[in-house]
Amino acid sequence: MKRYLFPGVVLVLAYPLLAAGYPVWERLGALVLLAAIGASAWNIVGGYAGQVSVGHAVFFGFGAYSAVVVYTHLGWPPIAGAPIGMLLSVAVAAVIGVPTLRLSGHYFSMATIAVAELVRVLSSTSEFLGGAQGLTGPAMPRTVFDLSFLSATPFYYIFLAVLAFLLGLTWWIERGRMGFYLRAIKDSERAARSLGVSAGRYKLYAYMLSGAFTSLAGSLYLCMFGFVDPESGFGILISVKMVVMAALGGAGQLFGPLVGALILVPLEELSNSYLGGRGAGLTFVVYGAIIVIIARFLPSGLLSLFERRSAKPAAKSEIASGHAD
Amino acid sequence: MLIDARNVTKAFGAFKAVDDASVTVEEGDILGLIGPNGAGKSTFFNCLTGDLPVTSGTVSFAGNDVTRLPPEARAKLGLARTFQVPLTFESMSVLDNATIGALLRHPNARDARARARDVLQRVGLGHLTDAPAKSLGTPGRKRLEIARALASEPKALLLDEAMAGLTPTEVREAIELVRRIHGGGITIVIVEHIMEVIVSLAQRVVVFHQGREIARGTPREVTSNPAVIEAYLGRRKVQHGAHL
Amino acid sequence: MTLVQVIVSGLLLGAVYALFSSGLTLIWGMMNVVNFAHGDFVMLGMYTAVVIWTALGGGPFAAVPAAAIVIATLGVLSYFLLVRHIMRGPMLAQILGTFGLALFLRYAAFWTFGADFKTLPDTLIGGSFTLGGIRFEGSRVLAGVGGLLITLLLHLILTRTSVGSRMLAVSEDATAAQLMGIRPQRMQALAWAMAGAATGIAGALIATFFYTSPTVGETLAILAFVTVSFGGFGSVLGALVAGLIIGVVESLSAYLIGPVYKDVVVYVLFVLVLWFRPQGLMGKA
Repeated sequence: MKRYLFPGVVLVLAYPLLAAGYPVWERLGALVLLAAIGASAWNIVGGYAGQVSVGHAVFFGFGAYSAVVVYTHLGWPPIAGAPIGMLLSVAVAAVIGVPTLRLSGHYFSMATIAVAELVRVLSSTSEFLGGAQGLTGPAMPRTVFDLSFLSATPFYYIFLAVLAFLLGLTWWIERGRMGFYLRAIKDSERAARSLGVSAGRYKLYAYMLSGAFTSLAGSLYLCMFGFVDPESGFGILISVKMVVMAALGGAGQLFGPLVGALILVPLEELSNSYLGGRGAGLTFVVYGAIIVIIARFLPSGLLSLFERRSAKPAAKSEIASGHAD
Repeated sequence: MLIDARNVTKAFGAFKAVDDASVTVEEGDILGLIGPNGAGKSTFFNCLTGDLPVTSGTVSFAGNDVTRLPPEARAKLGLARTFQVPLTFESMSVLDNATIGALLRHPNARDARARARDVLQRVGLGHLTDAPAKSLGTPGRKRLEIARALASEPKALLLDEAMAGLTPTEVREAIELVRRIHGGGITIVIVEHIMEVIVSLAQRVVVFHQGREIARGTPREVTSNPAVIEAYLGRRKVQHGAHL
Repeated sequence: MTLVQVIVSGLLLGAVYALFSSGLTLIWGMMNVVNFAHGDFVMLGMYTAVVIWTALGGGPFAAVPAAAIVIATLGVLSYFLLVRHIMRGPMLAQILGTFGLALFLRYAAFWTFGADFKTLPDTLIGGSFTLGGIRFEGSRVLAGVGGLLITLLLHLILTRTSVGSRMLAVSEDATAAQLMGIRPQRMQALAWAMAGAATGIAGALIATFFYTSPTVGETLAILAFVTVSFGGFGSVLGALVAGLIIGVVESLSAYLIGPVYKDVVVYVLFVLVLWFRPQGLMGKA
């Protein structure tokens, strides 16, 4: 992996220069990064701790709505809503997490879906949140803080900085005690607890942290698109996409969600831009088929291709010594 | 007194799996819990570790009342255990499995790793540290469970059928390992239904039958106790009848 | 009197919820797989019925069995080509695989039928009639009674027949079942066929009173997830009870509080059930 790092970093930094003049491609780069932020945030609790939330749209929506609400009701620039959304999401994560994180496996997933749907339906009945029509951000930029740009390139670098920070944080957690504990909880919660791991507490920490950054992704989304309604904020598709991207690349791995976003977002965006109507339908058929094929042949995600190669010698030596044991 | 369980009862609905059992373990003991299958010894064991909440009675460990404490809190006080069916952390290496245990007393991952390496060496898994844990067979997994528990630097180690499924040679090696661990100053509680293991290891034995304690004493005393013989033989008779 | 009508229509609706959730719960209980494409199976059942009924001129007696056969076949194909391979893997692979399948089916329908809503003409199912002061719509009665009967039939097959006990044996311990001479894969494929047939019938029945569109599966899937978790996974009877409760609660809250809040009440109820009884009403602990 390491030898790809340097050319990878250069390519990522220079991408907007390559895409300059092609709005579709400029936008695409920013969208990939935004999706990667959401999926990487999900990865903390869904991938590392193995608590498969299919309701992360709750946090995404809180982020998006916080950003637009501070504009609509207070006249602030939307980005000022981001920290509010993050704090709210941490609190909401605690409220949702304490009862639901006790549930195991699919039950947790189903409970998170139900909670997200509940919030979606409630948001569509709330006048404060603009009801089913949703809310719109500033039509014209008033100051630079409204983050309204002619091209997507400034967003690209903002998203890149956020993603880099998030991945750095995840990397730091992964190598420390919490990272070990989360993986232990994922493998066997009972065994982890027998070794002194406060599983409930660690799962909750992971859930709150994950919620905070998912919320940030939602606020950034609003800054770029300037609009949110119950479906684009709290819809189940938002949640599922985070899960699918992380799982496709490799859940519980640092770069898994980014790899997933690199594949799925271009597929979706380019088919939307270059094909309309029924043609887009056909490309989504292909999109679905690709996901099915990867799930079928690489159930642990695309990055497991690299992992397998490096794990082989260790496995071989083990079998040999297993006989001696 | 390290472990003091008083009048422990564990009921599942109307069925009392453990019925008013009281057991004490002194520091430095090797205590054996034996009994025929379904005697309630494993249930009692899980009440000691906190995996099952007791219906009534109290459990205290190292002077603390732990009756209402979850397993992780008991582990922090120095109570470590293994599982009858090993619960290996499948996605990790052997070393990382042991590291999870070591992190309890060494929050810094690097220190914990070094500590885990030591423990693996001590239990005879030193040559397998980098192997994926899922590639281990049953004997390796049982050993890894012991290593993981030891890495948490416990006062007491509770072994739940740590020898089941091992060949006679492996059983002898495992007995040797448990002796060494005990020699290092760790109190041992061992649930086992292989009599030979209990006879060669335990200093004191408590015999369970149908959820109740029916005998206690040295291994020699209990194996000649008529009630114990009755419990084991009576069961064998029933099994024999069932086969006919 | 109106309240009685509300409750009756809730029960009829609930029976349909029960039927389209029973396939999901069967698969979940049998092999611990949650099919994220379940809603799209229902959607294809609806399209099958619409096509047979309107385009080809067949009546309900042609449309319902056709939907059952088509979705059962789809279920078996999904099992052999996909689910069989991912069920032992991580849970995420299941979500990934079945969600991919959902997208595939949804947009295949979109590509074939377009995005327009399709409905069956009311006159086909006999309008409405009044009985004991309560007005019934023919399509709702057909769907409700059909849903109730088929869910009960599925429950009886699973609990009272030798096929059912063999399927149960596989779900408890596939290796042990194999030693007893049961072929697990065959039983699991059969479960997919049965679940598919029930889902197809549910789709055909729903099509009689609900609009049919490529994206209708998403709404229905969420409802099915809630019903199944509510009732307890693997329990068809649980799905039936949960379906009826949800149907009545929806109707009552739409009538008493307002239509917008019916989903709110259902989701709140569901979250409360999970809080106090995490394994669902009739689930195994």
